[in-house]
Amino acid sequence: MADLDEHVVAPARLKLMTTLTAVSEAEFATVRDALEVSDSVLSKHLGALEEVGYLRRHKGVRRGRRTTWVSLTPRGRRALRTHVAALRALIDGID
Amino acid sequence: MESAPHRPTAEEASAALADAEATRATLADRIATPSWFFVSLGVVIAAQIAAAAAGLGDEPALVVAGLAVFAAVAGVQLARFRRLNGVRLGGFASRVVLGSATAASVSYTVALGAAIWAGSAGRWWLVALWSVAGGAAYTLSGRRWMRRYRGDPAAHARGESLAWLALAAVAALGGVGLLVLGA
Repeated sequence: MADLDEHVVAPARLKLMTTLTAVSEAEFATVRDALEVSDSVLSKHLGALEEVGYLRRHKGVRRGRRTTWVSLTPRGRRALRTHVAALRALIDGID
Repeated sequence: MESAPHRPTAEEASAALADAEATRATLADRIATPSWFFVSLGVVIAAQIAAAAAGLGDEPALVVAGLAVFAAVAGVQLARFRRLNGVRLGGFASRVVLGSATAASVSYTVALGAAIWAGSAGRWWLVALWSVAGGAAYTLSGRRWMRRYRGDPAAHARGESLAWLALAAVAALGGVGLLVLGA
């Protein structure tokens, strides 16, 4: 599995990290709605990616309610770039 | 999803990438500006240019007031943007609101310089004209950035670094200070 990142290889995580490249940070509900997943599924992926340092979470406020904000870390961006490059090489038949 | 990762086939990789990019594009398309956003930005920039041109002669407080009103409107509109969309977008804050996009910064500098010259020559109708032109160009630059962002969100999402913004703010405040002191 050279160059493919085991933490990003699941399509749901690739989708989550790719979506986060469109923003500096996003609120939990915004990400959940964009990915069309449940709170628990999203929390699980966020926890796993936070554990390996690919994203960070912090508490904030939106519309007067406390909520969670999520963003990619520089390490996460690098990991995503490498993983996407490996996927493209796979698609192009370069191995 | 939580099963042991396997090496995807070319077809699976292609589908996963396409799906991820489509989701990102959908999120970027959903991001909207708050009501009256561009109008308020254009008006406050025009007012700030006019205040600078009018105030540099005898009323330096006008220059400071123009900047303060801009800062207040920018802060409120950024908070509304964040509340409306549930995202923070560094590129939007710096390129659209703070005008660091090339078109916005060049047009603003030209309009401000021309308005100050017109004010010093007592041609107030030209001050008004350049102020409106500066505000309109700033707005058009912002709208253009939004279109470019939606076309390639990953390339435009992030704004300048905090260090760069701090440096630009210090330079801008220094410039204003020199203008006010020299008036």
